[in-house]
Amino acid sequence: MSSSNSANVGIVIVSHSPKIAEGAADMVRQMVGSAVPLAWTGGDVDGGLGTNVAGILEAIEAAWSPAGVAVLVDLGGAETNSEMAVEMLAEDRRVRVVVCNAPVVEGAVIAATESSGGSSLAAVKRSAEEFYA
Amino acid sequence: MHDVNAGRAAEAFATLTASAVLVNPVGLHARPSVKLTQSAKGFAARIEFALAADGPWTDAKSPVKVMRVKAPQGATLHFRVTGPDGEAALAAMLALVRDGFGEA
Amino acid sequence: MTLDRANREKLVRALAGTVIEHADELTSLDQAIGDGDHGLNMKRGFEAVLATLPDLADKSLPEMLKAIGMTLVMKVGGASGPLVGTFFMELGKALPEQPARADLVAATDRAINAVKARGRSEPGQKTLLDVLVPVQAVLANGGDARAIAAEAARAADRTAPMLAIRGRASFLGERSIGHMDPGSRSASLLIGAAVTTLEFEANT
Repeated sequence: MSSSNSANVGIVIVSHSPKIAEGAADMVRQMVGSAVPLAWTGGDVDGGLGTNVAGILEAIEAAWSPAGVAVLVDLGGAETNSEMAVEMLAEDRRVRVVVCNAPVVEGAVIAATESSGGSSLAAVKRSAEEFYA
Repeated sequence: MHDVNAGRAAEAFATLTASAVLVNPVGLHARPSVKLTQSAKGFAARIEFALAADGPWTDAKSPVKVMRVKAPQGATLHFRVTGPDGEAALAAMLALVRDGFGEA
Repeated sequence: MTLDRANREKLVRALAGTVIEHADELTSLDQAIGDGDHGLNMKRGFEAVLATLPDLADKSLPEMLKAIGMTLVMKVGGASGPLVGTFFMELGKALPEQPARADLVAATDRAINAVKARGRSEPGQKTLLDVLVPVQAVLANGGDARAIAAEAARAADRTAPMLAIRGRASFLGERSIGHMDPGSRSASLLIGAAVTTLEFEANT
């Protein structure tokens, strides 16, 4: 998990596989640079393939930005657990976290690119979701 | 949002055009697309590019649209720039392409 | 129905016991149409719930249900953690300390709607909703423990010929047909254990 201080929208990568999440984060760092707060999480609470709400909450905390956080997820459970995590945030933070309907790797790179230019949370989400449009 | 601001600015500024050839081996692939988009976002001007002088035009500030262009090495990128910092924006775009996005 | 501390602990042990006892069966069901982790995930969640006893049973029923839901959300993982966890948490939010049947009918209705929203799913898509919804109807119509448990088992069986539309099993398309939905099976086990423990009487 990594992050950087910035007023840009934070990016959180959630995959069933910690290796995929970390690898996608590496790609974001290398392609987009370090101007974007970034964190990743993957695996269930026993370290197997899966996702867990506590890990997602930690990643959101690590990538927190006043501009908000965009969460990129892979398969079903990652999305459900991420939505659950968002609902468990304090209300002032909850409204500034979105789960994007976008492929996890491409979406993370595109969202981070958009964020690195200082775009709003809504613009970051729209851009990531444009990939499927 | 960028488009709205650029659109307002566009009324007062002339449109500048120029072109550059993609020299880096992978062409306008994922990583160069990100660099182009990031650089474009640093300017207030509306920045568009196309593979032909008469379009169709792609918004250089949209990561997804830029990636979809998939221009190969040797392709010519035509730029069309309008805005208060148009000259600097155009120079930055051309430099990025001619330098092979730092990876040629 | 009165729920004292002993009954609350008995309820928790019955819920956890049935899931843990059937973990292998749930895993086999999930291996057929999912990713094979449902038994393990649910077992891990309910073992974590058991680990919060005896304190857990000291709480009032609403607080206890919310705590169970939170533990399941945090420990089960997969899509089941949030779905089953949400069901318990919503029950906890809606129920009074000593619920009458009408309270249970209203609370389960609310909890089912929360599960629908969480999974963006409706009955008929081969999910736990295909057990929760018909069982809730029997509860609302005054069925006793036996009738409720029987409907839960039948409802889980009825998911076998369904085509999965939500969740991992939906990737299999037509091949999901012919296998019972693991989430429906675990829901039916939990319902069976709960109503048997609470000894529901017919109320018509």
